[in-house]
Amino acid sequence: MNEFPLLLISFIIYILVMLSGFASSFGSKAKWSRISYSLAIAGFIVQSAGLLVRTIASGHAPFTNMYESINFLSWSCVLVIIIFQRKFRLEKAWPYLWLLIVALMALVSSPLLPKNVTPLVPALQSYWLWLHVSVTLLGEAFLAVAFVASILYLAAGRSSAGNSEAQKKQENYDLIAYRAVAAGFPLFTLGALVFGMIWASQAWGRYWSWDPKEVWSLITWLFYALYLHTRLVMGWKGKRSALIAIIGFLAALFTFFGVNYLLSGLHSYV
Amino acid sequence: MIKFLSSIRLAIVLLILIIILSVIGTLIPQGEQPGFYQNYFPRWSGLILSLQLDHLFRSPLFLSVAFLFLLNILFCSLRQLPAKFKQLRGPIKFTPTGGQPVRDRKLASDLSDWLMVSPDSLLRALREKHYNVKIKEANGQKILIAQKDRSGLFGPEIVHLGLIIIIIGGLISALFSQRIELALTEGQTVDLPGQSFSLRLDQFTTDYYPDGSVKSWKSMVSILEKDQVKKQKTVEVNHPLKYDGLNFFQMSYGFDWDRTKVELEIKGGGSTARGLTLNVGEKFQLEPGLTLNLLDFIPDFELDEGSRPASRSAEANNPAALVEVTKDRRPVYLGWLFYYHPELNQVQREPDLELEISLKKFEAPLFSGLEAASDPGLNLVWLGCALLFLGLLACFYLNYRQIVIGLKPGEKPVFSAHSRHNQTTFYQELERLLEVRPDSAINSDRKNEGKTK
Ligand code: HEM
Repeated sequence: MNEFPLLLISFIIYILVMLSGFASSFGSKAKWSRISYSLAIAGFIVQSAGLLVRTIASGHAPFTNMYESINFLSWSCVLVIIIFQRKFRLEKAWPYLWLLIVALMALVSSPLLPKNVTPLVPALQSYWLWLHVSVTLLGEAFLAVAFVASILYLAAGRSSAGNSEAQKKQENYDLIAYRAVAAGFPLFTLGALVFGMIWASQAWGRYWSWDPKEVWSLITWLFYALYLHTRLVMGWKGKRSALIAIIGFLAALFTFFGVNYLLSGLHSYV
Repeated sequence: MIKFLSSIRLAIVLLILIIILSVIGTLIPQGEQPGFYQNYFPRWSGLILSLQLDHLFRSPLFLSVAFLFLLNILFCSLRQLPAKFKQLRGPIKFTPTGGQPVRDRKLASDLSDWLMVSPDSLLRALREKHYNVKIKEANGQKILIAQKDRSGLFGPEIVHLGLIIIIIGGLISALFSQRIELALTEGQTVDLPGQSFSLRLDQFTTDYYPDGSVKSWKSMVSILEKDQVKKQKTVEVNHPLKYDGLNFFQMSYGFDWDRTKVELEIKGGGSTARGLTLNVGEKFQLEPGLTLNLLDFIPDFELDEGSRPASRSAEANNPAALVEVTKDRRPVYLGWLFYYHPELNQVQREPDLELEISLKKFEAPLFSGLEAASDPGLNLVWLGCALLFLGLLACFYLNYRQIVIGLKPGEKPVFSAHSRHNQTTFYQELERLLEVRPDSAINSDRKNEGKTK
């Protein structure tokens, strides 16, 4: 059995989630929101099934190449968006977050990424692969939500001047971003840095080698440390905070994609 | 000086500086020869080499920034601590800082009743919500201090302490860790410098997937102490062997080409073709007075810049053997024999010598590349990581909350309430607890920028 049809179905559902999400800002709000949310759950279930099928078929963790990793990242993002919607209400941010999911799923289904199952090289045969990558990508999913919310914050900035209703909406974006970083930062720290170091010390005998992928994770992490401290101690909210969260996530993306294609190092599996 | 070292502005400057240096460290290839930088970065090579950006992460520049950062975290956390302990103890005067007289009549009288007449119901309600409650009494004043998730207050300090420990552990690793590379063929034993034991490779195997790619390398090894086997284990990638402070890792494998066994086919000289198996460096008497000498073997033959034979790689891509034949100690035949390209065999020989030699087979023993490492900083790093993560959980998931109620007979009660995070949810909680909207009755919002409101 092949997971790809399931992923395509979830892709289509996610497009509908996004469209009905946008519809809720025009048509009857409550009805479209409900439809959009139910579709999101349905899509998530289908994609989870796809993930399971892939794991069983390949016999290893479902994030060992680009195709699998982006799929897992998008699955994590969906999970995070649903959690945020239930806990905090995303309001206007909802459909734009699904725009991100649609972009990720477009990458997953594009023919650019090879989809065949390849056996694992000896260094990847470890349960630390599961822990390191899944926790890191889950953390990055939160950071992705902060990224979208921060862009929305900046975009809303132009129209909200003097309008208290719009300003409140804008502040909600700032709050979403902060909450996402507050959840994503500990996970990223644990997955990328701590589990990464433990695994490296098992596989390569040194926990830190200043390999480009390691350094770029560190850079990403330092950006979010900067985000937290400038906010907490210097009271930077809003615009400057949003900029740091955006650059931080771009650094995470560079760690994920750029390092593999542009810089060479030990982490050249994916 | 202390003020400068503990300032958050310095922390932000240093964070940005470390980010910039790290980016540079991934853009400039690290650890190359000076000539490399002169070739590829002619404009910048002077700067790169003088600032030692060719090994940036060990350069004095980077290390001093990191050291300053270490001091910064240390002093900053130390400076925060006294205030935090003070906060934990709670106010000693009946007017807490930031506290306000309660304006709402009902809440005021409720609070007075609770505290002066029957504190039990309030205490029970607070304790049910897992508040830690203290009541201080002095000169007729009463102060109630209720706190929840108190370790949340120290989240940042735990995080920072974790970081300090990780950095110190990292420094110890950088200065004192040792690595020894070992290349062992089956049956070989090595003594480990500075240790009382030695390591023997008993067996080395490689498993393959059906598609031919490598599945695993397994080195079965024994630890020997005075010829006694102390421990046996199969070392694999991701499964190191620990013994007496040393860790043994499976790092690589390869062929020991210096110990290649070579089979030559020899024709001519009157006799029929025959095969001959020799080790590199070995001699063989073909017939009285005629000696064949296997001088050298190269797995991947090429001519280097000085036109000298050399090996391009350690793989058997173009194996070649250097063979000499002497007649009464006088060389009569000398040349390289190629395994894949016998037509290219380059041989100088005496014209009347009818000798055809070709390279038929070669076999080198496989060695297992193991690395023995000791790292005295390792445990500190793990300790620091644990603190770092626990501290982060405390920062973001343990929401320190404090309620202070001060009461002096004949005066309105004074009330303050704040939480590190989520002021709104905290107020909702208080509302249920006191059955009055506290934010309408009082106004106790601490400066809480950057927090979720
Ligand atoms: C990469 C390094 C660092 C990391 C990962 C880190 C992490 C953190 C975290 C997670 C918090 C809590 C944030 C929150 O509750 O929103 C925090 C707070 C804080 N950090 Fe850091 N920190 C770092 C370096 C520093 C440095 C160098 C200083 C020194 C100047 C510093 C000063 C502070 C202060 C003053 C607080 C607020 C404490 C409080 O609210 O009680 N941090 N840090």
